[in-house]
Amino acid sequence: MQVLWDGFVEALRLLFGGDAEIYQITLRSLWVSGLALLVAVAAGVPLGGLVAMREFRGRRLTVAAINTGMAAPPVVVGLLVALFLTRNGPLGEFRLLYTTWAMVIAQVVIALPVVIGLSLAALQQLEPGLRQQITALGAGRLQGFVLQLREIRVALLATVMAAFGAVISEVGAVMMVGGNIRGQTQVLTGAIVQETRIGRFAVAIALAIILMLLAFGANLTLTLIQQQGRRRP
Amino acid sequence: MSGVAAARAAPSAPVLEARGLEVVRGGRTLAAADDLALLAGRVHVLLGANGAGKSTLLKALNGLEASSGELLFEGGAVATAAARLALRRRTAAVFQRAYLLNTSVRGNVESGLRLRRVPRAAARERAAAALELLGIAHLSDRKPTRLSGGEAQRVSIARALAVDPAVLFLDEPLASLDPPTSRALTADLLRIFGESAMAVVWVTHDRDEALVVGDTVSFLEAGRIVQSGAALDVFSHPVSTSFAGFLGLDTYLQGVVVSQADGPTLLDLGDGVVLACGEARDGPAVACLPPEDVVLFSTPPAKHSASLRNLLPGKVKAARPAGRLLHVTIEAGRLEVAALVTRAAYDDLGLAIGSTAYAAFKAAAVHPIPRHDRRPL
Repeated sequence: MQVLWDGFVEALRLLFGGDAEIYQITLRSLWVSGLALLVAVAAGVPLGGLVAMREFRGRRLTVAAINTGMAAPPVVVGLLVALFLTRNGPLGEFRLLYTTWAMVIAQVVIALPVVIGLSLAALQQLEPGLRQQITALGAGRLQGFVLQLREIRVALLATVMAAFGAVISEVGAVMMVGGNIRGQTQVLTGAIVQETRIGRFAVAIALAIILMLLAFGANLTLTLIQQQGRRRP
Repeated sequence: MSGVAAARAAPSAPVLEARGLEVVRGGRTLAAADDLALLAGRVHVLLGANGAGKSTLLKALNGLEASSGELLFEGGAVATAAARLALRRRTAAVFQRAYLLNTSVRGNVESGLRLRRVPRAAARERAAAALELLGIAHLSDRKPTRLSGGEAQRVSIARALAVDPAVLFLDEPLASLDPPTSRALTADLLRIFGESAMAVVWVTHDRDEALVVGDTVSFLEAGRIVQSGAALDVFSHPVSTSFAGFLGLDTYLQGVVVSQADGPTLLDLGDGVVLACGEARDGPAVACLPPEDVVLFSTPPAKHSASLRNLLPGKVKAARPAGRLLHVTIEAGRLEVAALVTRAAYDDLGLAIGSTAYAAFKAAAVHPIPRHDRRPL
């Protein structure tokens, strides 16, 4: 019990004492996951729209693949990305393995199916009649898509938050492709693993608090907006 | 609006024309129009039972559904996806359900204009005018979830009218509304149509609705237009037995309702023919007379049947079997009145084609439906 208490007190001291390393790790986490989220949303929402609105051969299989991808274990994604980026791999010449770029790529691969799958589901829940009405209103393809996104804006926000939650708390892939190198590719999750392993519990607890706050903040934003949507539909 | 004057000056130029238009899916023709022309300032009704292809035809006409054959908008061919988009931007559509966007009423009414890149201030102004026209300006800031069905449909119609469409497509616009709401909206729509030069396509399965709103009517069956023409002509002379069955066998009469302080309400059919009719608002009306309410005589009946206020002398024009009864058409001057009688009664009265007959019916058998006066075109 004493270990826990001492760790907690020390963690608070680190947090409010302005420990440079902790801030650096936090910023790196936000940068890697934030960039991955941005790429995943920018690519995933239009892709979700394409799958939702187009009829094509193999559509069911595609949807099944996306849903499988949503549940892909990060270590498996890490393995796949590592295989591509390793020196002898197809993308080996870019020397990306054990850089933050590799971590961004891995997290994009994790977040993309989540964004595609959830935005696809939300778009499919729109009534076909509404889609027809939007077309009849004189909307071109792109205008119609944007109007549909506005209709599912609450679900889209949930999508973004779910994807953020998936990447910010993920540890398997970033450690595999980033190497968990202190001061270079170490993010919150990897740092917690390492600090715990070497018995620096206070630092681990401080990092864990930050990670929890980030995850909580994302969920709080989501909940607030969803509740607002309920009160003023 | 200068459009009104233009439309009046050249009523014969169709706004939208379909020639050999056909929507085929999976080898089956869902809807077809061999030769359909929509005129400015006129309401064309597509009438038919459920599944007759009315809505599919409407979608083909406004470019929501790809079709083969020729579709001409203001003389230009609509053949490509881009042309269909251009057509949709010059027209507007209202469906059975309002399908409002998740924004304010004002935002909804502005949406069609914003899609057409009308500047924000101008869009706001035109939306306000459209809301005013439908009598729902006070709902501008409401969210769609807090509207009644009738209000929502008015918003949908305001949204359509705001873009000042050359053609307005209405797909069963009243079908989800209760009768009083639907009657009020019909009256407002007819007033709006009367003041506008747009062509209107109105899809319905309701014959009374068709008769009230339609200048011209096309009856659809199995995707094809079976009969087209002026509303009353089409209703009075159905060319197919199935259409006659759809209409019922009623006689349709056009006239003006005049109520009297003492005595029954009258329906003036013109040419000196005046009938006693059921209660109705004064003004132009179409009345239907169910044939089972018409009694036939071969000589003028005695005065004892006082409730049979209406008596029309004429000649038997046609008699055809209708189940166990005979459907007899009496030609009384300009009018044709249908009656259902038993074969025995027909024989007892000594009736035959060309013989003299008197058609008698109660005032209450004549049901006038108020109809807006159509301006001359």
